[in-house]
Amino acid sequence: MLAYIVRRLLWTPFVLLAVSFITFTVATFGPGDPVQVLMGQKNDPVIVDRIRQERGLDKPFYVQYANYVMGVLRGDFGESYQRIGQKVSDLIFSRVWVSVQLGALSLAIGVAIGMIFGLIAALNQGKWYDPVIVSTALLLSSLPVFVVQPLLAFVLSRQLHLLPSSGWECAFYVGPMCIGVFHPKIIMPALILSLGPIGGITRLMRASTMEVVNQDFVRTARAKGLSEGAVRWRHITRNSILPVFTVVGLSLATLVEGGFIAETLFGIPGVGRLAVEAFFARDYPVIMAMTLMVASAYIVTNLVIDIGYTFLDPRIRLR
Amino acid sequence: MKRSLGLLLVALLTFGMACSASTTPGGGSAAGELTVFGSDPPTLDPALMSDTSAANYVVEIFSGLVTLDRNLNIVPDLAETWDISPDGKTYTFKLRKGAKFHSGREVTAQDFKFSLERAADPKTNSHTADTYIGDIAGVADKLSGKATELSGVKVIDDQTLQIQLTDPRFYFLAKMTYPTSFVVDKDNVSSGANWADKANGTGPFKLKQWSKGEKIVLERNPDYYLEPAKLNRVNFLLAGGAAMTMYENNEVDVSGVSINDIERIQDPTNLLNKEFSIAPLLDVWYIGFNVEKPPFDDAKVRQAFNHAIDKDKIIKVVLKDLYQRANGIIPPGMPGYNQGVKGLEFNPTKAKQLLQESKYAGNLPQVTFTIPSSTTTVDPVTEAISEQLRTNLGVEVKIQQVEWATFLQDIRRDARRNKKNNFQMYELGWSADYPDPQDFVDILFHSKSLDNNGAYGNAEADKLIEQARVESKPETRFKLYQQAEQLIVNDGAWIPLYHGKSYFLVKPYVKGFVRSPMIIPSLRYISVEK
Repeated sequence: MLAYIVRRLLWTPFVLLAVSFITFTVATFGPGDPVQVLMGQKNDPVIVDRIRQERGLDKPFYVQYANYVMGVLRGDFGESYQRIGQKVSDLIFSRVWVSVQLGALSLAIGVAIGMIFGLIAALNQGKWYDPVIVSTALLLSSLPVFVVQPLLAFVLSRQLHLLPSSGWECAFYVGPMCIGVFHPKIIMPALILSLGPIGGITRLMRASTMEVVNQDFVRTARAKGLSEGAVRWRHITRNSILPVFTVVGLSLATLVEGGFIAETLFGIPGVGRLAVEAFFARDYPVIMAMTLMVASAYIVTNLVIDIGYTFLDPRIRLR
Repeated sequence: MKRSLGLLLVALLTFGMACSASTTPGGGSAAGELTVFGSDPPTLDPALMSDTSAANYVVEIFSGLVTLDRNLNIVPDLAETWDISPDGKTYTFKLRKGAKFHSGREVTAQDFKFSLERAADPKTNSHTADTYIGDIAGVADKLSGKATELSGVKVIDDQTLQIQLTDPRFYFLAKMTYPTSFVVDKDNVSSGANWADKANGTGPFKLKQWSKGEKIVLERNPDYYLEPAKLNRVNFLLAGGAAMTMYENNEVDVSGVSINDIERIQDPTNLLNKEFSIAPLLDVWYIGFNVEKPPFDDAKVRQAFNHAIDKDKIIKVVLKDLYQRANGIIPPGMPGYNQGVKGLEFNPTKAKQLLQESKYAGNLPQVTFTIPSSTTTVDPVTEAISEQLRTNLGVEVKIQQVEWATFLQDIRRDARRNKKNNFQMYELGWSADYPDPQDFVDILFHSKSLDNNGAYGNAEADKLIEQARVESKPETRFKLYQQAEQLIVNDGAWIPLYHGKSYFLVKPYVKGFVRSPMIIPSLRYISVEK
């Protein structure tokens, strides 16, 4: 087991190297030129050449790639081409941090509501509100963001003036870290983005609760005379939460990706928007660093899943 | 400050600021806070910035020798007065006494020499230096690394700066209003790559906070050398969001109006109608022809295409009358605009006849019409144009949508590498960098200009443009540009389509706010009276 983990970890740099090589190749030989995008409609080949030289873009491909890899090994992802003078690592970190805050809050809301919904539905099987809850949850989670957002903004902001409609602001700072989760501007996007998880979690929670309800230990608990509340909380709920936690835990890795549509619609400076802006501006250093970041997140997640399986199911052996 | 048609709607949603000449009585202490949308600038370094998103902040935080007033006249800024030598090549600026950086240090002529040399230093990597200060003697040598000093910039004394040009250039002062030549503090600049995050400028506002992607906060500079600002703080929200809803929910004090909301706002019964205003923009949207590619090497074909387009119909039906028809090239509101410029009018009969007279009569090659676009749907203007060419001229054009980065690469001409413009016919826009018709007529149409994408050349127009470069009398200069413009229009070098306008809402308690067609320092005139 330990040998397996070590082997997987030793492979990681090679996987990342391959990922970086492919991205770098595509970026370098693909259409569009970052210096010309920077120049806009202004055409001056002399200046273009000078900037290209200054940034080492005139060097042969393998030299550029080697320089890049050497930089990354030193923890230096370079400077953004588009955002002059800004370090790629600072840029990405602050944007990821924003996306993670929003993602985590909406996931938390979604999970909390989903679990309550699922539990109520499962414990009240056969009653009318079981199907009502399940179908409501599914309906909510299938509403696209761009339908819900204008609707809620119209009612809660424009008509009732209860909440800020969109945008992003830091409630306060902890060092350089912007803490946005305590600012009212996050409420509406977090609520809307929590609709997605609600549907899935409700169904998962309901299924897992129903499985637990029929287990022997639940019958034993009831038989030994425990109160219904104690049975439900201590024996049913706690056991049925486990699979939900597994799913939520695994989806944490996706938080670093952010989402372009939601971030644009709500005006949130997250990492999803940064990615799209960087692609259009041919901002290679930013694109490269983001690709590596997402690749790393997936490698780690996959490793955790694989290891997690051996705990959940002892029949699986990793060699 | 160029942008593509594809970015037009974005431009409608964002805005720069300015204010009317009529308001702002003097006196009164500073109070109030203004909250508006802003875009996250790529940089706030005056020598490096090149787009409108950065210019909005830079002109408030920094300043230069001269600036533009609200009517786009060139007026003194850090320079109180200046003399121009009779040959038009030497400018002697007298600096304002007592003008200080935000840090409290007085601005001297040495600071200007340092700033100009820094902008022209190849290490600075400015891609605006050549355009905006390239007329100064020695800049070319400095940019190419052949010189360490700028031979054309001399410090006479602390208060006197002399600038020598390579040739007389009467749009030179107009170019000096652009931030490339603005004064920066040597200690501030040498504090590291991110120095502009803690900019020490000379302008009416100080940079208080720049949280990337979130907001920029400007704070009043009480020691400003002209009348200080009336506002205490200006907050620019960089994150964006649902603009109209945020405005209606009092989250911002000013908002652009998108094309979808215009009709609702223009309705006089709408409560927001009173807060609505329209301002012209100094831009022109056009269809360009590449005269190096058939069939557009024949002026008759270009003229035929011109006569086949019913611009009024496109503006009315597709663009909901949000734009103004363009007859010529220079936009209305620009000094030197010619109201009498005669466009090639919509006339299908004439169009067909011209096509018959051309050398491509009966054997017109396939025409590909390229537009910069990142979406998969064809924009309605392009569709309308291709439809009109089909019905009015019997020409079937192929539409090609190219993503912006690739578009820029393909349209560029580079004589040294024998790289030509790959397109035959394309849609694009151009907006003013400085208020002088030279920015349009000379830069886009002189046969030797690098920005003349279509490779258009007309010896007579070239001659007029060259005369204008050295003409000192503004009226005569403008006449020369207008004559050149008419020749270019007659030749059908472009199909000028329309000029843009900006549409925006301002809360009634915001006084002194009117959008200028150029980005000019103007926040200091605004007051908030709640």
